Amino acid sequence: MSAAALEVISISRNFGGLIALRDVSFKVAEGEVMGLIGPNGAGKSTLFEIVNGNLPPSAGRVSYFGTDCTAMPAHLRRRAGMCRTFQKVRLFESMTVTENILVAASECLPAARDPRDEVAAILAQFRLEPQAQRRPSELTLADRKRVEIGRAIAGHCRLLMLDESMSGLTHEEAEHLITEILALNRSRGITVIVVEHVLSVLAAIVKRLVVLHNARVIADGTPSEIAHDPVVIEAYLGTKQTALR
Amino acid sequence: MIDAPLTTRDIARPLRARLLTRPLVFYLSPIAIIALIPLLPFVNNYIIAAMVRALIFIALGQAWNIVAGIGGQLSLGHGVFLGLGCYTTGILFNKFGVPPWIGGFAGTLISLAVALVMGSMTLRMRGVFFALATVAVSLALVQLSRHFVDLTGGADGLALKFVGTSLWAMQSRSPTPFLYAGLAFVVAYYWTTRWLLASRFGLEMRAVRDDEVAAAAAGVAAFRTKLTGFLLSAALTSVAAVLYIQYYMAIDPEAAFGLSQAIQLQLPALLGGLGTALGPVIGGALMIFLSEITNWGSTKIGVEGLDILAYGLMLLVVILRAPKGLIGLIVRDAARGATK
Repeated sequence: MSAAALEVISISRNFGGLIALRDVSFKVAEGEVMGLIGPNGAGKSTLFEIVNGNLPPSAGRVSYFGTDCTAMPAHLRRRAGMCRTFQKVRLFESMTVTENILVAASECLPAARDPRDEVAAILAQFRLEPQAQRRPSELTLADRKRVEIGRAIAGHCRLLMLDESMSGLTHEEAEHLITEILALNRSRGITVIVVEHVLSVLAAIVKRLVVLHNARVIADGTPSEIAHDPVVIEAYLGTKQTALR
Repeated sequence: MIDAPLTTRDIARPLRARLLTRPLVFYLSPIAIIALIPLLPFVNNYIIAAMVRALIFIALGQAWNIVAGIGGQLSLGHGVFLGLGCYTTGILFNKFGVPPWIGGFAGTLISLAVALVMGSMTLRMRGVFFALATVAVSLALVQLSRHFVDLTGGADGLALKFVGTSLWAMQSRSPTPFLYAGLAFVVAYYWTTRWLLASRFGLEMRAVRDDEVAAAAAGVAAFRTKLTGFLLSAALTSVAAVLYIQYYMAIDPEAAFGLSQAIQLQLPALLGGLGTALGPVIGGALMIFLSEITNWGSTKIGVEGLDILAYGLMLLVVILRAPKGLIGLIVRDAARGATK
């Protein structure tokens, strides 16, 4: 049996007296598209930073394709194919779209491959060729998010973690982005974790949801199971009707 | 376009083609003009000496531009590496007769060691720690160089022994050889900067400058990139210090490690345009030109320190009106012209 793409094992994190995460555990299978939801302050962002190597856990481990990467720095995780976007888009503002993607392609591709080919392929895949020479400040929010995803997968990507990538987008833009994310999952076999706080957005993308609330995992199941889970309804969603709205 | 960002078309081209974006004559003409200036009948030693000073500060500004302009690490006490280079070269020559060719190498090694310790301790931290550490080290070195009088000459400074015009000792009664040496430095540092901007390492430095967390998320080893950029800048500053000490023939604690000197190292890039190859060239030339005018004005009206006042005013104007330096203004105006 192959190892899980990602295994979060009993992760806890304290900030002084504040407990941000308490004994959080879950697995993500290779090729899966999984959602992580929770209200503001549930610990999603802290978990995201720990998984990506920007924040050490107070306790627990992170396993990536069977390898313990808890002590591995963020840039080495990225080179190993663990990729991410940010809640607030973080592009290299002084660089063009091309250069933004080139940075990651140069760092993460095997030496034998030419990063310029990878940049061209990603620009084509995300239909960013007309924007290739523009700087991020000249782009729409939707394009900025697509550039960030393009940069995130450039080179070598096995696990893509998207942090509220749909927020701020129109319904149509969000649908386009969802289509592109699912295409990445199918065409490149990339495992995807999507963090959102709106269930209706995630329900269209994922087959499995993990719910964080008050620093703990309170539910793990299909979107339908989550929507009917009384613990989730009580702790987070309020009512079943609002949950699926 | 000056120091334009890479485009899709550009990255498909080899490095040599990206560096030589214009005909070779475009790059060679200014070098030829400066090299021929001493041959003109109306050019005297005063003009040549001013040009040498400009070239020295352009080179020093280019070195600082690498760590601060391209790398985004604000080294406020970069005089540390100028001072270490000058003092090491001068002390080895005066005390042991070691030629500056070797003394400068030793000074660079010492600068690299100091930069390695400073960078290792502070570059992992976010915020102002690195900038403050460079200031703290420079202030400490001012005191140390005053304290060890036998070695450094104390507060009076160190005067190089003059042995007459000699290539071995890098000394000359005329400023003209220093003009050619300064020109060689500026050309070498300019192309080093251009290579950096076009290279993978330059891309890494710019990524870290723009957003360190995002750079790590793109696979860039942020700490190693910052440290390497800092070491490169320190080494280039220390190598240029050889030209500084051989031309001025003296160094003292304030001229080496003082904050006013550190500001003078920063001005060429700040005035001309941070993070560009041409910015420090334009900024350094402007700085020395204004310095000469204010010095002349100072002697006419009998008020000292006009040059410092002029630097301050220039800096203020640049910060308020042209935060990207003169290069930024030129590019902006060119872009406006192109869209008209």
